[in-house]
Amino acid sequence: MRRRAKHFLFATFDDFEKAIEVISDLKRLDAKEDIISDIELYSPIEHPEVEEMLGEFHQPIQRFSFFGGITGAILGFIFAAGVGQSMFTVQPQGGKSVITIPPDIIIAYEMTILLGVLSTVAAFLIYAGLPRRLKKYYDHTVSVDQIGIEVETDPENNEKVRAVLQRCGALEIREETQ
Amino acid sequence: MSDYSMKNDIEWAKINEDVLASLESPRKAFWVVLGVCFALVLAGAAAEIYQYNNGLGVALMNNPHYWQTYISNFVFWIGMSHSGTLLSAILLLTHADWRKPIYRFAEAMTFFSILTAAIFPIIHIGRVWDMYWILPYPDQRAIWPNFRSPLLWDAFAITTYATSSALFLYIGMIPDLAICRDKAKGWRKKLYTTLSLGWMGRATEWIAFRRTYVLLACFLVPLAVSVHSIVASDFAMSIMPGWHVTSFPPYFVAGALYSGCAAIITLFVLLRYVFKFEAYMTTEIMDKTARLTFAIAMAWNFLNLSEYASIWYSHDMFEHEMLIDKFTGPYAGVVWSMLFCATVVPFAMAFKKVRHNMWAMFWVSLFIQLGMWLERFQIVSPPLASNHEPWTQSVVWPGLIQLTITAASFGWFTMLFLIFCKVFPSVSMYEVKEMVYHRNKHGQKKLQNIDKIKDDMIKTEEGLS
Repeated sequence: MRRRAKHFLFATFDDFEKAIEVISDLKRLDAKEDIISDIELYSPIEHPEVEEMLGEFHQPIQRFSFFGGITGAILGFIFAAGVGQSMFTVQPQGGKSVITIPPDIIIAYEMTILLGVLSTVAAFLIYAGLPRRLKKYYDHTVSVDQIGIEVETDPENNEKVRAVLQRCGALEIREETQ
Repeated sequence: MSDYSMKNDIEWAKINEDVLASLESPRKAFWVVLGVCFALVLAGAAAEIYQYNNGLGVALMNNPHYWQTYISNFVFWIGMSHSGTLLSAILLLTHADWRKPIYRFAEAMTFFSILTAAIFPIIHIGRVWDMYWILPYPDQRAIWPNFRSPLLWDAFAITTYATSSALFLYIGMIPDLAICRDKAKGWRKKLYTTLSLGWMGRATEWIAFRRTYVLLACFLVPLAVSVHSIVASDFAMSIMPGWHVTSFPPYFVAGALYSGCAAIITLFVLLRYVFKFEAYMTTEIMDKTARLTFAIAMAWNFLNLSEYASIWYSHDMFEHEMLIDKFTGPYAGVVWSMLFCATVVPFAMAFKKVRHNMWAMFWVSLFIQLGMWLERFQIVSPPLASNHEPWTQSVVWPGLIQLTITAASFGWFTMLFLIFCKVFPSVSMYEVKEMVYHRNKHGQKKLQNIDKIKDDMIKTEEGLS
């Protein structure tokens, strides 16, 4: 079966107010005609108000941190205690405890943080979709001072979406079909 | 306009231009400082080779003087590493936006301080070729490192801290690496393209980025506290008079923050001049950093005094003798110099004129760092010189080899730091843009509110008349 081509319009704007306006107009158009598959915002800084308009982002990174930390604590303790256990068979302990709780907790504590940090970074890469190749229509001005709006739609709806983007003051519109 | 505060109307494109220019054309002082640092590193390498071939005796180390400047340096550099990441993380969690132009280099300072600190245990053990024995790995001899020793906790804590700080620095730099990628050419383009991981500033990326950054900050605050507490345990868990002090962990953490803040001030002035960052590293930020340093200085002094007081009133004759010996014995000069540099000098920061004078702050910060280095030295050396056994009671000062390697560590740190600042943006472009954007927005809101109040007053007056 032939894969259906994806069509993207990428418009740049010179301020966040225009980006807010264009997203709400596009959402209104989509609510009326159901022609937009996805809207993505590109910006040089984080802007929570605009991002809120795009809807809920499901990114449970904190769960990775939590379970990573727990795993680190368990592995750290087992490692330190396991070494103590193995040493017991070959080295005299002189009456000291085989598994020493306070030092083993320190090792477990450090491992909690290490694995927590590593799993948080792994979650970041997963949810941010990195590493990835740059898109062909990616505009370098987005990393300077402009805001980019990427709209995924069918080629036949191209003009309707383009009209909205132009009406809201797009500086430049690029198109790409994949 | 004076450089007291950052301009709110500074254009985003200008921020990119200014910071990217720092990667291309620093002042000549950059090359001079880099050259001096490189010469120090070469001298240190020569001293280490000499020590390697002839044994630790050439560094005047002998029983009981087995810990001297190498361990003082180790503690000093670990301490120095604290402020960068710890302050960056705390200020991030408390939404202090003035951290934005300076946190990047502070975090880099952390990473390079750890790299410098990690060299000293290797130099210190003398038998460099056996350094891998510290790693806990299964082997046929069934000999494991001692998990009850704070020295092994150090290995775990420092590895964790180095890894986490490096990741915190790197993750925070990704959006800026993308900016560099979009502008760079040649080898820099390849480097930034690889490191920026294809960042395009999408909303999904920003949201994941912000959450990750805050979570990492949450991990790093307790980690940084634990690392220096563990370093303090190297001393506090021994039974040596002068080292066996319960309050050492918080005292070490406060000392670490203090010397780290002083280092931030030194590097602030250096970077501001060398890379022409006058528009971003403003007097306003220096003022706040100096106030913070002053507050930490007072906390450190309080802990220092409480340590003396707890020893004085403890009725432990050995500790008592040790304390008197510190202030009146052969190392008294070190202790009094430390108190002058780290207790008296910081009071200069109580004056606004000093806080607003970059070069005055530069010298104050250098004095504080000298004081904090002497503090580490007076913790390590005097107890070794007045031990329980009379035959061990001898005063030993660090010789040429130890001093050369110590000087080389400063050269090594500064060299790595300057190379980093030449290759990577040392001011966070996207965070400065955010700061300018939000300040501008709040400024406009305030103006609108004032206009509204004025309109209301006019209407009320008209109504009354």
